Amino acid sequence: MARSTPTYTPIRNYAIGFFLSALLLFSDINYGSFSEVRGIFKATTLYVQMISTSVLETIGNTYSSFQESKNLLQENKELKEEILQIKTKDFLEKKDTAEKIKIINLYKELVTIFKSDDIHLHKIASIDLRNYFCCSTHKIFLQNLKKIKINENLPVLAGDSFIGQTTKNYLNFIEVILFSDTNHVLPIKSNFFYCDARGKGKPLLISCTLNKHNDVFKNQVGDSIYTSGLGGIFTQDIEVGSISSVNFISNDEIEVEITLKANPLEEIFYGIMSKQNNEI
Amino acid sequence: MKFRDHLIILSTIIFGFWLDKSFHPFTLQFFIESNFGLLICTYWVFALPEKLQTFPVLVYGLIIDLLFFNVIGFNMLIFISISYIIHLYVFRFRIFSYFQLSVFFSSSSVFYIACKYLLLSPLNYSYILLIVSFLINAVLWIGVYFIMRAFRRRFFSIS
Repeated sequence: MARSTPTYTPIRNYAIGFFLSALLLFSDINYGSFSEVRGIFKATTLYVQMISTSVLETIGNTYSSFQESKNLLQENKELKEEILQIKTKDFLEKKDTAEKIKIINLYKELVTIFKSDDIHLHKIASIDLRNYFCCSTHKIFLQNLKKIKINENLPVLAGDSFIGQTTKNYLNFIEVILFSDTNHVLPIKSNFFYCDARGKGKPLLISCTLNKHNDVFKNQVGDSIYTSGLGGIFTQDIEVGSISSVNFISNDEIEVEITLKANPLEEIFYGIMSKQNNEI
Repeated sequence: MKFRDHLIILSTIIFGFWLDKSFHPFTLQFFIESNFGLLICTYWVFALPEKLQTFPVLVYGLIIDLLFFNVIGFNMLIFISISYIIHLYVFRFRIFSYFQLSVFFSSSSVFYIACKYLLLSPLNYSYILLIVSFLINAVLWIGVYFIMRAFRRRFFSIS
């Protein structure tokens, strides 16, 4: 047996550090003790990212303009600036108009689909791609530049379907938990059954467990799934996805896997219904 | 050790975690989870065992948790555990071959990945991911080791 090397490693400090970090981890996982601190930190990081991006863009533009030939710049300065200004104005006008039309159309579409006038549109600020692709936590942050007061647990729409619900506000950002997050439970129904579908921690997937001996279950892969309205948050009868597989998990139970309709990676604008569903 | 030195070390660890974050969306489909952040952190503990003891490692872990993770305490716990083992056997490690070192450090990173999935996302726990990540991180460790050693010798005031 090899002899130990003559190093002095006091275990006391490590033991204290170990128990301290274990305590922090336990309290955060079980009770979410540091969710506020983390949320504010994330919002601050987003601000820093936005500011640094704009600063870098400015520096980049300045640097590239110095790269141009000096003589050529002098000769064509006035003309170029004028053309650039016109181009920029034109581009901005086109972009603004296109974006405004898109927002108006989206708003009209959402009002028609969800039969509610109380919808606020918000642009996406960030999506945590790392966790979205690998892990259980699926959240997005929306911009709230107009500082509209957004309550917790309001339904969030994207495209022509629901995508999640609001959880918290941090500075001018709204945190939204997506249906595919493992902590989210969505009451759904099909033509034959009702159930509470839980997020699978995988992109666009939710699932629910049903009794195998339930004779009314006659669904097939591809059948549409709708919100049931139970729970009082989401309006009923809105299509949220379709059955992608039916798996036998035990003698008595089957798992119905549902692929969601709205993909958060393809959406830019999200609607938040400011009033909850009080139908049931 | 000066505050500036801590900042340099922390910046390299943050850079490692940023690399991991950037690569994950592309590598996860091939069951690969690179772990540059942890490898860089363990490199520093391995290279400067007398300078990096309990408190700095805890603080690095806390900052990484705040910047990159959804829970606080996870990186603190893993950093402190691996740091303790490195401190315990640091001189024995110095006579190890590169292959032995890469096996140890890659095992540490697989332990980190396994704990991450078991604690934070048990539904996505996968043995294939662990095995592939072990092989990839063993190769990555060699690169991290030589690059960080060159970096330390060139830019760092403490040798």
